[in-house]
Amino acid sequence: MTTALPAVAIPGQRLGSIASYVAGPGTHVQNATIYASIAGPVVVGPVQPSSRTKSVLSVSRSIPRNAAPGANAPAKSTSAGKPKLRYNTLPAVDSVVLARVTRVQKRQATVSILVVLDESASSQPLNPSQTASDNDNIEAILSSAANPENHSSSDELRFQALIRKEDVRAVEKDRVVMDEMFRVGDIVRGTVISLGDQSFYYITTARNDLGVVMARSDAGNMMFPVSWKEMRDPVTGVAELRKVARPF
Amino acid sequence: MPLDTSTTYPLTKLRLDGRRWNELRLLQAQISTNPASSGSSYLAMGNTAILCSVHGPAEGRRGDATGGAAGSAGAVVEVDVNVAGFAGVDRKRRAGGSDKQSTRIASILRSAFQSHLHTHLYPHSTISIHVSVLSADGSLLAAAVNACTLALVDAGIPMPGLLCGCTAGMSGSASTPRDPNNDFLDPLLDLSLPEEQELPFLTVGTTTAVPVGEAAMVNEDEDEMKVAMLTMDSKVHCTYVETMLAVGIDGCKQIREILEGVIKKSARR
Repeated sequence: MTTALPAVAIPGQRLGSIASYVAGPGTHVQNATIYASIAGPVVVGPVQPSSRTKSVLSVSRSIPRNAAPGANAPAKSTSAGKPKLRYNTLPAVDSVVLARVTRVQKRQATVSILVVLDESASSQPLNPSQTASDNDNIEAILSSAANPENHSSSDELRFQALIRKEDVRAVEKDRVVMDEMFRVGDIVRGTVISLGDQSFYYITTARNDLGVVMARSDAGNMMFPVSWKEMRDPVTGVAELRKVARPF
Repeated sequence: MPLDTSTTYPLTKLRLDGRRWNELRLLQAQISTNPASSGSSYLAMGNTAILCSVHGPAEGRRGDATGGAAGSAGAVVEVDVNVAGFAGVDRKRRAGGSDKQSTRIASILRSAFQSHLHTHLYPHSTISIHVSVLSADGSLLAAAVNACTLALVDAGIPMPGLLCGCTAGMSGSASTPRDPNNDFLDPLLDLSLPEEQELPFLTVGTTTAVPVGEAAMVNEDEDEMKVAMLTMDSKVHCTYVETMLAVGIDGCKQIREILEGVIKKSARR
């Protein structure tokens, strides 16, 4: 039987059989039937004619703006010009996160994860009207994160992570001095390499595009990057050592 | 009392506010009311008005003495219920979550949603639900369940279905066995505060049931409901409980359709 997929799913709504689809994010399977777990538009993944795998059925969290005229038809995902679909994000392995350094020790640095970036967050600027969760308002989080008064109150509610000495950069791992890489209060872009132990995720900055993205100098001014290891104060002109991320 | 349901209902078959036995009060709901939280909702069932906000899944507080979130296999649901001082007829001085009514509603909500949500997807996390009662006019637990469900859907937390609550009672004192020849009591749906104080009632919450075994093949279109929450404090003979349950489950079905309409209208906005 060919049942039409609804455009908007409600939690508990029956979507289809596992003989026809594979359950993706936002759905769950019970008794050989796929049900929706969250409210949002139903997305059917593209069917690859070369392989015999079934298409992936998933429910995302936000409604695309241009899908409103075609509300009756089920939403088909196409790669060209599709608005970004959102799911509820926690830090997972290979997630790109923005974190603030809270403690620098000899062999590791403790950071507090502020934002979990999606894969397409680096390519497209975020539309503020389409924010679906508190992770999406990145400009507001970063502007409040750069304010030192907000550090102590919000850091204990964030997920904690560690950047070990071996994970700071890919070359000359044994010559890394942690004080020359990070300072307390810096905003760091990193990738989660492990879910870690009970308290900390493990984060690496060993790629060229990972590292410090925002930092304040000793004089308190916002610095700009000048090389892969230096940032400069625009007011005083003093250069400070950081493990700098490559800008977008 | 000058007017009460047990004396006026047998004469007119209408309740104090003019409803029939199976009519809900006006249910108005809205989600995404608070941009500062992950999910939020406002719900009014008659004159019972509730604000609910959800934060999470977030990091559990480390160092908490009872902190089970740090090492648990799934997310821990925390519920905080705050009945405002101006919510009732008489103003209460200490408006907080420390009285017995708020604590009891909070514990019922916590156990209901802890077993209802897909908490295994968020290990070492905490889902905080904050319920604020702005006006209390009966069916407080049922309205809180509906408001929490809307806020959790707005937060995008996965769940197998919508958990909807409703109250059901009887139109008189039901403490004696039911007489089939002289059955003059009627069940009532969605009790208001004067009816709650006078009549026996129960609160039932249902969610989508998953058919098991051979029932999965039959009745594809008919959605069965599973009772996920049931509380009753009144003295009722056991012959009336099934009637009250059936009416309450039917009321949950009506509420679920209203909540689904609210979610779909907000999703298309």
